[in-house]
Amino acid sequence: MAGILDFAPAIVLLPFLSFLIALGAGRYMPKGGALAGIGATAGSFVLSIATFFAVSGGQTYNQHIYTWATGAGDAVSLDFGLLIDPLSSMMLVIVTLVAVLVHIFSLGYMNDEGETGLPRYYAGLGLFTASMLAFVVSSNLLMAFMFFELVGLCSYLLIGFWFRQQGPPSAAKKAFLVTRFGDYFFLIGVVAVFATFGSAAFAGPEAFPVLAEEALHGEHAVNTFLGMGEQAWFTVVGLLVLGGVVGKSAQFPLHTWLPDAMEGPTPVSALIHAATMVAAGVYLVARMYGFYALTPTTLGIIALVGGFTALFAATMGVVKKEIKQVLAYSTISQYGYMMLGLGVGGYVASTFHLLTHAFFKALLFLGAGAVIIAMHHNENMWDMGGLKEKMPVTYYAFLSGSLALAGIVPFAGFWSKDEILYEALNHGLGTDGGLGTVFLIAYAMGLIAVFFTGFYTFRMVFLTFHGEPRSETARDPHGFGWNVKFPLAVLGVLAAVTGLVNMAPVEDLTGIHLTFLHDWLDGGISSLTAHHYLEVLESGVGAGLHPAGIGSIAPGLVSLALALAGAGLAYRLYNVPEPVEHTDKLGSIKTVLYNNYYQDEYQVWIATGVVQPISRALDKFDQGIVDGVVNGVSSVSLFAGGRVKRIQTGVVSNYAALLTLGLTALLLGLGLLGGWFA
Amino acid sequence: MIIEALIAVTFLAALVTFVLPDRYAGKAAFALSLAPVVGSLYMWQQYDASGNALLGGNIAFETDVVWLQLGQYDIHWMVGVDGISMPLVVLTTILTTLAIVSAWTPISERQSQFFGLMLLMEANLLGVFTALDFFVWFIFWEAVLLPMYFLIGVWGGPRRKYAAIKFFVYTNIASLVMFIGFVSLVFGLGDSITSLRLPEIAQALQAGQLGSFAGLSAGALASVAFIAMFIGFAVKVPVAPLHTWLPDAHVEAPTPVSVMLAGVLLKMGTYALLRFNFTMLPETARAFALPIALLAVASVIYGALLALAQQDLKRIVAYSSVSSMGYVILGLIAYTTYGVGGATFQMVAHGLISGLMFMAVGVIYNTTHTRMVGDMSGIADRMPVTAGIFVAGAFGYMGLPLMAGFAAEFFIFKGAFESTVMEAMPLFTGAAMFGIVIVAGYLLFAMQRTLFGPFRFDGDYDITEAPFHDVAPLAVLLLLTIVLGVSPDIFFTMIQDAVTPILELGGAF
Repeated sequence: MAGILDFAPAIVLLPFLSFLIALGAGRYMPKGGALAGIGATAGSFVLSIATFFAVSGGQTYNQHIYTWATGAGDAVSLDFGLLIDPLSSMMLVIVTLVAVLVHIFSLGYMNDEGETGLPRYYAGLGLFTASMLAFVVSSNLLMAFMFFELVGLCSYLLIGFWFRQQGPPSAAKKAFLVTRFGDYFFLIGVVAVFATFGSAAFAGPEAFPVLAEEALHGEHAVNTFLGMGEQAWFTVVGLLVLGGVVGKSAQFPLHTWLPDAMEGPTPVSALIHAATMVAAGVYLVARMYGFYALTPTTLGIIALVGGFTALFAATMGVVKKEIKQVLAYSTISQYGYMMLGLGVGGYVASTFHLLTHAFFKALLFLGAGAVIIAMHHNENMWDMGGLKEKMPVTYYAFLSGSLALAGIVPFAGFWSKDEILYEALNHGLGTDGGLGTVFLIAYAMGLIAVFFTGFYTFRMVFLTFHGEPRSETARDPHGFGWNVKFPLAVLGVLAAVTGLVNMAPVEDLTGIHLTFLHDWLDGGISSLTAHHYLEVLESGVGAGLHPAGIGSIAPGLVSLALALAGAGLAYRLYNVPEPVEHTDKLGSIKTVLYNNYYQDEYQVWIATGVVQPISRALDKFDQGIVDGVVNGVSSVSLFAGGRVKRIQTGVVSNYAALLTLGLTALLLGLGLLGGWFA
Repeated sequence: MIIEALIAVTFLAALVTFVLPDRYAGKAAFALSLAPVVGSLYMWQQYDASGNALLGGNIAFETDVVWLQLGQYDIHWMVGVDGISMPLVVLTTILTTLAIVSAWTPISERQSQFFGLMLLMEANLLGVFTALDFFVWFIFWEAVLLPMYFLIGVWGGPRRKYAAIKFFVYTNIASLVMFIGFVSLVFGLGDSITSLRLPEIAQALQAGQLGSFAGLSAGALASVAFIAMFIGFAVKVPVAPLHTWLPDAHVEAPTPVSVMLAGVLLKMGTYALLRFNFTMLPETARAFALPIALLAVASVIYGALLALAQQDLKRIVAYSSVSSMGYVILGLIAYTTYGVGGATFQMVAHGLISGLMFMAVGVIYNTTHTRMVGDMSGIADRMPVTAGIFVAGAFGYMGLPLMAGFAAEFFIFKGAFESTVMEAMPLFTGAAMFGIVIVAGYLLFAMQRTLFGPFRFDGDYDITEAPFHDVAPLAVLLLLTIVLGVSPDIFFTMIQDAVTPILELGGAF
């Protein structure tokens, strides 16, 4: 079927092309390769939109495009393929749109600020975008893993962009290392999926989630290992893959890399947080949701990790001084919500939050970037204040994003976060046994986090934009051009309206059909649809979830009230001309929060206090014992003391003679033993 | 005849280089070494073998003539390649040429001897990978040591004598152990063989011709021979704990020699393990699966942890080779297409990537005259191109997808996980895979401290970008690594073709 979907590979290849152009010829180009990047990502965006419409017309695309490794005989081949369905086409639009806007914004943030190394920067952005897009359209788990890793490489390169300073290289290393730790489990998971099912495809006749489902139905056998039953083994495999998700999506306890990653240029932060690296983890769970829906234990763990991370990160966001740090913790927290939603069976709700969060978080980071330009690269909110009058476009856009983040109706974040919490409550009340309790605990954590989110978000807004300017630079901020304002305006509008695509409470209230995202994710390939997932979730072989059938209005009002309470408290405390650090009243709790619960400390301790001493001790062991035995053996035998010296000082012919003698002796031995000379 | 021509041309090139004046030797050696490169690529392009050379497969470029008589045995001049050796032949020629170019800067005295020895070593290496008669093979195998010995002992660092002797004695004793093991097999086969051709021996063993010898039953003899050969080859690989000659040899050897040592010489060990132990005695290998898998995991993790403790960039890469070779052992013992195929692919991939890393360290050393991590920082500021390639190579070493190392490691992991030699293989695989985290740890730490951060250098040298001929071999290796990573089928198809017959072998006794 020839159609627009045949151009889908170009969505990936265009940013890759811009990578090559920026790398090879960026230094000869007027904006250091920026224009190539903008052109390429804009082209990808247009194609993504076209793809989106094609998919909405009912088309899907699941094509093999390249055999990476051909298996001989019975061995399976490892393929690359494109899978375009409602989920991936939606993600394509998100990623390409954010990428275009980040490229444009970079003109203001990097080019106008006189940065050097721009070709390297734009090459990195291009490769980052291309890797993420390839990950999004991956048709199987191995391809997904490969581009997942390339996404990690690009984040390393971009976080460490300012490599001449002390901080960025260290942060880049940490980001790669911590996520690599997660990816270790992911890679075992990939290998295990191949070993179990003989295929790692997401869709099609050999889709591994479908094979797993059929195996649980007893329709055919799959390989399990280590003597485990199918259900137990699938749980193990699911948790292994989840390791990569926890790393990339910065979930507890592998979230520690993300706040450090703020060392990178701010547009990069926007890209990492909204549309690429961090989103990749959650997207992966959504992509293979049919598999996770089969294993209740995994779902419970996902829900708990998500709920805990949402709350845990939100509390840390309360005390931060730097604007980007607040946003970093909000990212961790918001991805916690998405995990929570996926864990409790809210596939659509989480995907919805992935969509809205992408826009409002990109917006907030770019807004923060605009503030940072204005403040001459000072990020401390206590030096800001009163920026509202001087930069109205930024202010209103940032406000739109903040309202979305805090979850205030009718901004985007309200609808999506609310739906996640509703799903948690609904399935928590309805599901029997321990799983229901786990969901309710996760729900409670998510609900409390709403209050903190409202508080830290508006603390940030008020400290930055309201009150009196608290420093010279805040009184006279640096100006900037259209290339900063335009992306902010676009995203500001999106943050306000995106929620309208899926207004479940309003549908409940009015009876008018308004849950368009549900319809959207119900289309396409039948094993990848929302209602298929729901069937699996509620079936006997799956997780066995049950909705309690409660209405969505009351829970929505509860979370809205909490968000408003948090925002209101922030208003009381910080919307004053001369705010003071009220969080000081928390005393030692603040110290704990400010130090991130000492999570970094213990991880650094594991690296430097445990692993390094072990490796040094092993080194001593190796030099002293292992090599000592070797040297000992040699010195008591043929090469004792003085003889070694004599051999060592010999001339070239001696060595040759030695070798020849050795060879001859060997051959003589062979001959004598074998009686060849007889 | 092309293999004979290839080896002869390389020998001739060595001779010519020996007699040239020092100042032309480097350039001449490079030009002359292009001949084997072209030859091996031509072979690769004309390659038409199928199956395994030892197991009755169709051998490419085969020559098989009786050369001389040794007691009851005919010694044949038998050479040829199959899907296992062909990639290694290509690797050898390309890596030698690049190593020669990388030697232009650091080697400043007795060049004609240096480059002559490099080419001499190449000729012998080509012999090792193509010989199919034990006698011929063994001569080449031993003859590789001689040039390597001199290259370390004459052009090496301060402790070059110690390192050279250690290398020479250690590997020679290992050869002796291996030799005894192999010869006992030959005796055990008795009259069922009339020559020492490897295919004949392998097929006789497969046909169950192994009898008793020296009071040992056939099964016990096979075990003893297996262990002796395994120890002999394991020193070469090296498998922990038989690895201690390696870091000393690498640290003292000049960069181009390290490139050859890590890139090709280590592969002699894994190649021989595959050809002898795992092809000739598959049943014994399967019976020893547990200790072999343990050794593999130990090599991976132990080598990686040792690399973590090092401050000398070259020692880091040296120990990481122990780690990478552990993966090869894991893949071999898996006895699956992806396991053994991946192990063979890893020989090539690691050859390219370790060559790249040693060269990159060498380029930095040429400029800074130090390899200690603590002596410098922010080198990327002054040597951006070198640093860029260093970073790319390091990520290749970490197993970044779409580079050759990932393909090899993934094949091995996949093959080892689904292996049926032992119930617990998934656990061993999972344990060995932790190497990918540690390798990221030590390489990222090393890069952060040397390449990045504010520029600082304690020495007196002017730090500027390296000359073109230093960087070019790095770029070529990087490109090859990416090409093989994007399209592993270039070699993987022929490798699997030669590996599959090994997997189909049943028990002979």
